[in-house]
Amino acid sequence: MPPPEVVVETRNLTKVYRDFWGRRKVDALKALDLEIRRGEIFGLLGPNGSGKTTTMKLLLGLLFPTTGQALVFGRDATEVTKNERIGYLPEESYLYRFLNAEETLDFYGRLFNMPRKVRRQRVNELVTLVGLEKARKRQLKEYSKGMVRRIGLAQALINDPELILLDEPTSGLDPIGTRQIKDLILRLRDAGKTIILCSHLLADVQDVCDRIGILYQGELKELGRVDTLLTLRDVTEIRAGGLSDAAREEIKQVIERHGGAVVSVGNPTTTLEELFLGIIRQSEAHPGRRVRGVLAEQPGDGDGAVAAKP
Amino acid sequence: MPIEEEILPFFQWLPGGVAHWLLVVGSVAAAALVLGWLVSALRHGPGAALRRMSRVVADAYNDVAGMSSRRVGALAWLAVKESIRRWVIVVFGVFIVILLFAGFFLDPASTDPARLYVSFVLTSTMYLILLLALFLSTLSLPADIRNRTLHTVVTKPVRASEIVLGRMLGFAVVGTAMLACMGVLSYFFVLRGLSHTHEISPRELERLRASWQEQVAGGKPAAPVEIQTEPAHGHRHTLRVDPFRRDADRRELIPRGRVRTDAARGHWHEFSYRVPEGALRGDAPGPLEYAVGPPEDRFVARVPIYGKLRFKDPAGEPVERGVNVGGEWAYRSFIQGGTLASAIWTFEGVTPQRFPEDRFPDGIPIELTIEVFRTHMGDVTGEHIPPIHGSLMVGNPATGQQVEVRIFPAREHATDSQIIPRRLTRASDGRTFDLFEDLVDDGRLEVWIRCIEPGQYFGMAQADMYLRAREGWFAWNFVKGYLGIWMQMLLMIAFGVMFSTFLSGPVAMLATLGALIGGMATRFMGQLASGELPGGGPVEAFYRILTQENLISELPEGFFRDLIFMVDTALQGYYLRGMVEILPAFQWFDYSTWVAYGFNISGDLLASCILTLVGFVLPVFLAGYFFLKLREVAR
Repeated sequence: MPPPEVVVETRNLTKVYRDFWGRRKVDALKALDLEIRRGEIFGLLGPNGSGKTTTMKLLLGLLFPTTGQALVFGRDATEVTKNERIGYLPEESYLYRFLNAEETLDFYGRLFNMPRKVRRQRVNELVTLVGLEKARKRQLKEYSKGMVRRIGLAQALINDPELILLDEPTSGLDPIGTRQIKDLILRLRDAGKTIILCSHLLADVQDVCDRIGILYQGELKELGRVDTLLTLRDVTEIRAGGLSDAAREEIKQVIERHGGAVVSVGNPTTTLEELFLGIIRQSEAHPGRRVRGVLAEQPGDGDGAVAAKP
Repeated sequence: MPIEEEILPFFQWLPGGVAHWLLVVGSVAAAALVLGWLVSALRHGPGAALRRMSRVVADAYNDVAGMSSRRVGALAWLAVKESIRRWVIVVFGVFIVILLFAGFFLDPASTDPARLYVSFVLTSTMYLILLLALFLSTLSLPADIRNRTLHTVVTKPVRASEIVLGRMLGFAVVGTAMLACMGVLSYFFVLRGLSHTHEISPRELERLRASWQEQVAGGKPAAPVEIQTEPAHGHRHTLRVDPFRRDADRRELIPRGRVRTDAARGHWHEFSYRVPEGALRGDAPGPLEYAVGPPEDRFVARVPIYGKLRFKDPAGEPVERGVNVGGEWAYRSFIQGGTLASAIWTFEGVTPQRFPEDRFPDGIPIELTIEVFRTHMGDVTGEHIPPIHGSLMVGNPATGQQVEVRIFPAREHATDSQIIPRRLTRASDGRTFDLFEDLVDDGRLEVWIRCIEPGQYFGMAQADMYLRAREGWFAWNFVKGYLGIWMQMLLMIAFGVMFSTFLSGPVAMLATLGALIGGMATRFMGQLASGELPGGGPVEAFYRILTQENLISELPEGFFRDLIFMVDTALQGYYLRGMVEILPAFQWFDYSTWVAYGFNISGDLLASCILTLVGFVLPVFLAGYFFLKLREVAR
């Protein structure tokens, strides 16, 4: 099977910010070579000032490259027509706060030249999708940060785009909203969309991304599949339930006998997100009752875990 | 005061106007291309710069030709919503407050209150609307760029051309709505502010009644009685009422009738009366009934027919211009009194169909304004300085037949109305002439003016005399006056949006304001550029200020003077000339004088202005497109 079509490609993409007099101020991005293929979720990671947002803006044509080239769907990133197949959620939802949700989505729909009937249908779908049915007539200036984020995401999807660029999509959202957005991202991927994600929340990236690129001071330091990059090949993890201390001791001895070194022995922990969502689920199932034993329901309770190095 | 501008017929103006436009736009475009190539060549090399330039030009074609009306509509709608959010309605509120307090400083008893009121509403509306357009157009796009709301717009398939056009249209819609409301309000303000009527005092009524009673009683026929109205708005009117139909041997009283008062302050009233049964009875006379109507002909829109002016010198020989009486305004040319020097207007289209007898029973009405230059004051012992007299003659341009219409006193600083009678008698031989048969040749008629007092001069320009064939509709003329403001507003919006594509809000506002002020001063700049004005160019003028030299003294010869002249020549020839060509002459669109002075704004003028507007807005729109297209929206 041939590899999927390349949706985004950068060749030696470089961006230098200059001051008013044209003097070199910051090398924001240095010779970035990247390929993102159809149907994948690609995460761009890096500390502040590493060039993530600059890369996004170059791909969107908001900035012009100093040298190199950014191609989206095989066309130059500064070409307007490529935007017909793109959805973009900026870092903060830069929307017109004097419009309400319906007007906002309708306005952006008109920018895609969508007929009125299609727009109306799409607005209804998206308002429902992002859970803003009750607030659809309220001006955005009355919205909470999370609500603005949701309507921002809805506008990014108004044209049913093939490529979606999400800059910090979960910032400002509560854990439930975060999970919903992550689930939505996965659903979009399953529907064949290509997603480029830029986030500081590493856990979010880890949860949803197929591949990641790590930028530091404008240079690409790492690129690859998440599962590949995160796998510790020289460490073996064994998980078992119902072991006594004697049994654990015996396992340690077996490992040492085979020349391995025990790295850690203990009970695994779940994530805070899982804990929080478990509490919420229980609270909704049993209103008014104190929540107990959420972790007991988690797989691995009372289990032991051993990690060993050969 | 006539409108001192010659308006060329549209189709006569069109070829020259279009050629001039093509030359200026072509020059600016060529200069921009060369500059763009040079900048690009410095960064990318000459070949790459050429490729980039051609790509930019091709993109521009696609972006302009491929504009979507739906996207432009959406962006215009957004601009309207944004303007409403910015409380543009406050401007309307300010306008209402101005009108409410206008009564404090507008005097309906002034010499020409109609002119005062119309000028006031047009001028105040113009400044408010231009201010509104300035704020709206210059602050919106920079705010969008600063707040990054533009990021979510330009990442949609929106072309820079659509963003620029959408903004322009949106603000134009807001401005048009505001202007329409202001126009309606102004119209009724003017009408109501000057509406008045007059009372007739009981004493005057009694005088009238007594005279009529005497005539009814069969006494000696009295001359029609002249009565005066009571004063209102600082003036009063006189009227003559004669309610009797006279046959050879009897008089019959017509108990109802209407007469016109005389004209004062540019209007007249209709006086209607009724003589009730027994009102004129000798033993128990009753009161007369009367009513004075609202002011009539206060608001006019004259449709003048202008002629071609030529001059004759004191010996009666044709000359190009009259005498220059000094360093005065050169608009008018002077003829010497007591000589054969004449100013001769030749009018065309003077036909009986244009001046039918039922509408013009007395003859052809003309209006003229004459400036008098006195070399001596004449007899100043009386209460008033005596007027200078002139002679009005008409002549047949083909046969050379001439007839003097009358000797008239020149009304200085005012427009005089005269009638050229349908039948004229020449005093020298007693011969009678029919105006249309004997003095008009193929629709052409000559009107001659001479100053008959030696040592005095009459100054005249082509627009100083015109025939009044018909009247336009004032309300429509008023609308056309607002159309002029509307066009200025569109220019302001176009420049504001264009500057805001690459400048920050306050700087864009200053630049647009500069364009407005420069545009209003294009005539002056043109004179400065052509060296018509004394005092030299900017550097020479600055030098004269520093050294307190007067305007006409020669500068000391030497290198310094040559340097000043060289810099001034460059500044005047290129910079000022360029500015005059690039900036729109806002005063060209200002019709307030036309409306206020009661002149119809001709279709030729309107058509030329509309085309000029398009001629400016189109390149300004393209410039805005390029500035936005070639800039990075994000930072």
